[in-house]
Amino acid sequence: MPKPAPVIFDIGWNACINCGACVAVCPQEAGFISPFDTIATDRPCDIACMICEDICPVTTITHRPAEPAAQPA
Amino acid sequence: MPHQFSYDLVVIGSGPAGATTARIAAQLGCTVLLVDKRQELGAPIQCSGAVSRHALEEVGLPIADEYIQEPIYGFAIYNQDGQRTTIDYRRLKPGEYGPGAGQKPLGYVVDRRRFDRYLMTLAERAGAEVWLKTEGLGYEKDGEGGCLVRLRRYNQDIQVKAKALVGADGLQSQVGRWAGLRTHIKLNELASCLQFVVDGVPSEGLLEIITGHQWAPGGYAWVFPKGHGYAEIGLGVARTMTESHQNAQWFLGQFMKSSFFQERFADARILEVQGGGVPLAAPLRKQYADYLILVGDAARHVNPITGGGIHTALSGGKIPATFLCQLIQSGQPAHEQALKGYQDAWLEQLGHKMWKLYEEKSSIFREADIPLRDERLYRTMSDYFSPNSEYKKI
Ligand SMILES: Cc1cc2nc3c(=O)[nH]c(=O)nc-3n(C[C@H](O)[C@H](O)[C@H](O)COP(=O)(O)OP(=O)(O)OC[C@H]3O[C@@H](n4cnc5c(N)ncnc54)[C@H](O)[C@@H]3O)c2cc1C
Ligand code: SF4
Repeated sequence: MPKPAPVIFDIGWNACINCGACVAVCPQEAGFISPFDTIATDRPCDIACMICEDICPVTTITHRPAEPAAQPA
Repeated sequence: MPHQFSYDLVVIGSGPAGATTARIAAQLGCTVLLVDKRQELGAPIQCSGAVSRHALEEVGLPIADEYIQEPIYGFAIYNQDGQRTTIDYRRLKPGEYGPGAGQKPLGYVVDRRRFDRYLMTLAERAGAEVWLKTEGLGYEKDGEGGCLVRLRRYNQDIQVKAKALVGADGLQSQVGRWAGLRTHIKLNELASCLQFVVDGVPSEGLLEIITGHQWAPGGYAWVFPKGHGYAEIGLGVARTMTESHQNAQWFLGQFMKSSFFQERFADARILEVQGGGVPLAAPLRKQYADYLILVGDAARHVNPITGGGIHTALSGGKIPATFLCQLIQSGQPAHEQALKGYQDAWLEQLGHKMWKLYEEKSSIFREADIPLRDERLYRTMSDYFSPNSEYKKI
């Protein structure tokens, strides 16, 4: 399988209930968290498995490519 | 270099697991620092708060009005169509259970904000030092038979020396990851949960559990009494068993609008929104590393059939407190080899039973035929809460 391209996560804070479920399923190493008990939103994720988006009880996680310029058109 | 702060134990996270570990370790004569990053413990609430009286008594907790919202006298388990098995101890053992003089409740629904604060207060009164607004950031070996824990307290970076570190930092645990333990939970083993505290929904002193793939695939729905005439209505689902647009919120909407309870819920007024993840997982295979052990949700000490984690966090706190104090007071360093003894003691007292429950749960959800799976879950839940259950005490 080709390695997925890195992504940056975006959290819709209005719906987030700060429950930490996204962090619990995240396979990243220590520290990939935000101050609001969610996965980090300030740096790219190079695993890009997206299971954090699935577990979220209110589906408030989305993502965009980490380097839009490097993406094929 | 002498350190300003030095303790036998540093405990990260003051939920039921961390506060109990800290309290009992302090009672046994260890010096303890208990830290939590929150400003108010238990908030935002990520729990329904149901706990047995036995679980509180087992770890020496006074039953106090301060944290109790409503006494519980039994269970009602529903199948998909609304047929129910009632296990009401007021009827089964009227001499023992009931609201009257000389009788007692089977358990309680607690307010986690007050409950967690109460547990912290008891730890403090037992002699533990407690710091709120203090986040654990990492740890390293100090080369002198202990470790240095990095904390941030009101924006100030502080290093604390400890003989051992206890990671009680809950579902989103990072402490295990500091030591390279693989603590993340598989998507199919974390129930994605949402609940509402509501007004206008009558209840009868029972914990009501609603099974069925239609309402909560891979989990179950619940209606618990919440005191003051309120109730909580919630559910947890396995996202590997649902369509991508069907999150916990979607299922809760369905359950409230179109289940056999739609009339009962017709006047529900939402007072609070809560949620989170419940590990319906096996306990971590390795719950320790050099100078470090994990307890509670951080070690996935959750009952994989019921999703209950308060009891296992409380009793799971007593085990490491006793073990670590003995080790430290005997002058031995908390090396990995020695800490394996903690996990063995835990397996002996709680863990083996939890593994058995995990296997039972996995076998139910592996069943491909949905009606058959529903039937098995309904039967297992009904048996689990029956007075003759072999698991009654976890
Ligand atoms: C919706 C829902 C309903 C539930 N209902 C029930 C129920 O009815 N009955 C039941 O028995 N169980 C229930 N559970 C499970 C139960 O809530 C947990 O198992 C229990 O809270 C685990 O306790 P703990 O002490 O391990 O962790 P927690 O209670 O999560 O405590 C962890 C603490 O660590 C702190 N922390 C985290 N990271 C750091 C850090 N880096 N530095 C400092 N502090 C940190 C947090 O602020 C928190 O206070 C429910 C769970 C959910 C999600
Ligand atoms: S799982 Fe969703 S609601 Fe929970 S903390 Fe993460 S983004 Fe917020």
